[in-house]
Amino acid sequence: MSYLIFSLSLLLVYVALTQLLHVQFGMLGIPNFGIVGFWGLGMYGVGVFNVQYSVPFLLSLILTGVLITLVAFVLGRLTLRLNGQDMVCATLAFSAITSLLVISEKWLTNGVVGLGTIKYPFDFGKATEFSYMMLLVLVVAGFQYVIQQLHRSDLGRLMFAIRDNEELASSLGKNAYGTKLQLFVVTSVLMGLLGGLSAPLNQFLTPNMLVPGVTFTVWIALILGGKENRLGAMLGVVVTFGLFDILIETYLPVPAEHAMLVPNFKLFLYGAVLIGVLLYRPQGMLAQGASGSDARRVRPL
Amino acid sequence: MWFIRDSFFIGILEASPLILAAMGFTLIYYLNGFINFAYGETITIGAYLGAMFNVTFGFGFYLSIIPAALLAGGLSVATYLLLFRPAQRLGVRPSELIILSIGLSFMLRYGLVLIAGAENVFVNEPPVAYFNFFGTGATNLQLVALIFVLVAAFNLYWVVHKTRFGEVVRGLANNEELAMVSGINPHKVSVRVWFLAGAVGGLSGVFTGVFALSNPLIGWNIILITVMVSIVAGVGSVKGAVLVSIVAGIVTAAITLISKPLYSEVILLTMFIGVLWYRRGRVA
Repeated sequence: MSYLIFSLSLLLVYVALTQLLHVQFGMLGIPNFGIVGFWGLGMYGVGVFNVQYSVPFLLSLILTGVLITLVAFVLGRLTLRLNGQDMVCATLAFSAITSLLVISEKWLTNGVVGLGTIKYPFDFGKATEFSYMMLLVLVVAGFQYVIQQLHRSDLGRLMFAIRDNEELASSLGKNAYGTKLQLFVVTSVLMGLLGGLSAPLNQFLTPNMLVPGVTFTVWIALILGGKENRLGAMLGVVVTFGLFDILIETYLPVPAEHAMLVPNFKLFLYGAVLIGVLLYRPQGMLAQGASGSDARRVRPL
Repeated sequence: MWFIRDSFFIGILEASPLILAAMGFTLIYYLNGFINFAYGETITIGAYLGAMFNVTFGFGFYLSIIPAALLAGGLSVATYLLLFRPAQRLGVRPSELIILSIGLSFMLRYGLVLIAGAENVFVNEPPVAYFNFFGTGATNLQLVALIFVLVAAFNLYWVVHKTRFGEVVRGLANNEELAMVSGINPHKVSVRVWFLAGAVGGLSGVFTGVFALSNPLIGWNIILITVMVSIVAGVGSVKGAVLVSIVAGIVTAAITLISKPLYSEVILLTMFIGVLWYRRGRVA
């Protein structure tokens, strides 16, 4: 039971990360491949403050948030004017730098030995894990509410305009770069804070959690679910992470000697599915506006 | 003084796999105009093929280089024919092709793990001889790798700049429609370029494997630096790719000499982000 709660909590973290990527890439067109960088910074930030310096959890989260705001601002300034391909490379480089620093700065992170133990911020006895999961449910619900509001707001339409044609949006007097920078910083910091929230879930942090597979899992979920649809993120995570990490790993009777194959087969299949979707159904399972047409709600200009 | 000398010396010797990878990657990037992350897996599979011919089939190390490079070239052509060409025909844009290539990269990497396992693979090294130069040394393997680099670099440069085929490649890269109107079949040219690039990538993998070890991640570990080298060097410049890889090698060696090896990658990647930022909006 407690393992199921752990898996579901992690699923909720992935849903939230994918929702944030929906805002970044699906709505705004920023190809951020540095997800594991922000998530890892948040996780290790909270871990280091909490364990090494005995800062209370909530304060650790706030301090980490401040730190990541600076990082996201600098990274945004450096990369948001690049073309799509260069931006992918730069953000991948950012995640690589993060995981290298986590390994090399042993005095702060214990390096490959690992950092622990990070306790839950509250203690409700047996109900602690379940309550924490409910907290994550609230986070996901909150993100979903904001996304729903964004889709029908003026800001949302500005975001679509920037995604589809940044020059045009700028020429109409919109501050395209400023909007991108602000939203990139906000969503990236939230990715980091989700990392911070994942720290008590994992309890013990090791650098091999910060693999490109994390970024990739979020991307495949978004692309498969539907990058431009407001519910795509949720559906995508359920059919990828939910299927493999919960249904198959928990309930499918895989013989022990083959158990190690499952995660590798999963990433193999993720790659294949990503290719298939990009080639034959680029809009993903849910196209934009499939759940209640946006077109009808948009006021004529 | 020893510091500068050692950095240069070690840097150039250790940079061979990167130089080879950067040259091959640059060719594809130049011709097709998109970043192919799956090129990293061409490198990995080159290393594995080298180890397979060497360890399983009992070829000598130097002999196993040849089939490994040829088959890696074949794999590269296969990814082009089976995936990237259909994708381009379906109208997938470069910014999506890069995501597609990351998907292919994961698929190939974990496909390899499923087949060959995730353990480190070692080759039977040929007897190692050690030569002295100016107070520092080099092994015969490093010198052989360097010879391959020189041969490959010279050949690629010659092919791209001095032959009819190179002219065709440059024509296609600069203006595909115009090249096609003048009777060039872009498909045939692409197949040959992807083969050349794959073979060079396979070589890079073989030498990565023999310098240290092979595992399914070696391609991914080198591809980011390779992409960065290629972008910084300027699209399509084989000469530039060689020069920038050598600089990257020297910086790596210098930082490794005075501090932790991990920092060299951190500093290189940071420098590259800086270069990208500096050149933002300008056509490479």
